[in-house]
Amino acid sequence: MSAKKNTTPAVFALSSTVNGQRTELEIPSSLSLLDLIRETLGLKGTKEGCGEGECGACMVLVDGRAVNACLMMAVQLHGKELVTIEGIKGKAGGLHPLQKTFMAEGAVQCGFCTPGLIIASEALLRRKPKATLEDIKLELTGNLCRCTGYEKVLSAVEKARGK
Amino acid sequence: MPEIIVKPLNLKELWKALPGLPAARRYLAGGTDIVTADNAGAESSECWIDISDLPELGTIKETAGALFIGSGVKISEIEKSKAARKWCPALLAAIPHFASPSLRNMATLGGNAANGSPCADGVCALVAEGAYVLLALKGRKRRLPLRELFLGPKRTALKKDELILAFEIPKRPHAGVYLKLGPRAYFGISKAAVALAAELSGGTIKRAVVALGSVAPVPLLAVKTSAWLAGRQLSPQTAASAAAMVKTEVSPITDTRSEAEYRREMCGVLLERALGGLR
Repeated sequence: MSAKKNTTPAVFALSSTVNGQRTELEIPSSLSLLDLIRETLGLKGTKEGCGEGECGACMVLVDGRAVNACLMMAVQLHGKELVTIEGIKGKAGGLHPLQKTFMAEGAVQCGFCTPGLIIASEALLRRKPKATLEDIKLELTGNLCRCTGYEKVLSAVEKARGK
Repeated sequence: MPEIIVKPLNLKELWKALPGLPAARRYLAGGTDIVTADNAGAESSECWIDISDLPELGTIKETAGALFIGSGVKISEIEKSKAARKWCPALLAAIPHFASPSLRNMATLGGNAANGSPCADGVCALVAEGAYVLLALKGRKRRLPLRELFLGPKRTALKKDELILAFEIPKRPHAGVYLKLGPRAYFGISKAAVALAAELSGGTIKRAVVALGSVAPVPLLAVKTSAWLAGRQLSPQTAASAAAMVKTEVSPITDTRSEAEYRREMCGVLLERALGGLR
C-alpha cells in the first residue's frame, strides 16, 4: 500500500538507508527488523538475546535513535536510516572511539552484549557529548551484560567522550 | 507473527483500506507490547496495520485551553517537549520510569493506553493529569475522560478498528509527581505507582488528583482521596491521612510481581512521599 511497487500486501517494497547505502528490497511484510538485519541483509553483528526488549543485544540506530530490533517490524524502517554495529566506524575509517575504549578498558568478555552496548553508548554520546557517569548509567539501563559487571563498560564510555 | 502487515500513508488511506483487510486485525504502533505478546504466543491476529508513521498521530499541538499529544508521538519526543514539560509535570516525571531509553524511542502513549494494562506508567500519569482521549473510527469521532477507556485488565472501551488519535490535557498550571516502586530503580514493571497532580496556593492544596498503577484492575483514579485533599493545608498530617485513605481505595492482587497487602501498604507510603515532595 505504501509504495507503488507493492502488488499484494504480503510483499512490501522497503526503501531505506542501511549503513549509509540506499537500499530497496521486496520483503515479506511481516518480517521483523531483526530478521531483516540478520537473515535478509546478512549482518550478523546484531544479536538476538531475550527477544522481548529486556537485554538490548539487538540494539541498532534508526534515524540516530537506539531501538530494539527484536520488537520492531521491518516495515517500520520504511523511509528511515538504519545503522547497525557494522556501520559504526571511526571518522577516518577503522575503529570507532567507543570500540577502542571498550578494548582498552577490557569492557568485553563473551562479547554478546557488546554491539548493543556500543550502539546505546553511541546514541547517547551523539546526543550528549559531555554525558555524565549518571547519564551513561541511565542510558544503559536497557542493556544487560552478564560478564563484565558493568564497571569496565561505564569507564569505556566515559573515556570515549569527546573523541 | 501476523501473515501480513499493511502500512497506510495517512488516515484517509487507512479508513479506505479497512474493508479489504482480514477480519482478525490489530494496530501496530511502537510494537513494544504487541510484538512481545506475539513472541509469547498471546497475540495471533492475521493482519497488523502499521500506524507508527501516520502523520496525523505524530504531533504535539497547543490551543488556548489544552495540550494535544498525538497518540503516535514517541515517549522520548514527549520528554523533549517544552509544552509537555509545562502542562504535564506528572507525565514528565513518569517518563524516566517508563521502560528503558531505547524502548522510549519506540513506544507511544497510544499503544500504552490501547494495551489496557493497569501498570502502564504513561497512562497512570495521564489519568492524574485529567487527560481526555480522542478516538476516531472512520468519520466518527468521540472524546472520553481517559479513565473511562479502561474496563479491566487488558480490556478497553475501544471498538473494533477504533483508533486513538490523541490525548487532550487541559492547560492548568500545577505541580506533578510520579513515584514508582519496581523490582529495581529503573526499567522494571511496577509493583505500585502513584501519580499526583496538584494545584497549590501558598501552603494550601487547591486541587489534587491522585492516580495509581498496578493496584487495581485498571489505572485507578483515587476519587475519594483526591476530593478529600482539596482545600487542605499541605502538611505531614494531611499526607498521613491521605495515605491512610488511599489504602482503602485500591484493590491490589497478589501475582508474580508482588503481594496484595504489600502493594496496598506501599500505595500509602508512595502517596505520603509524593505529597511531601510537593512545593
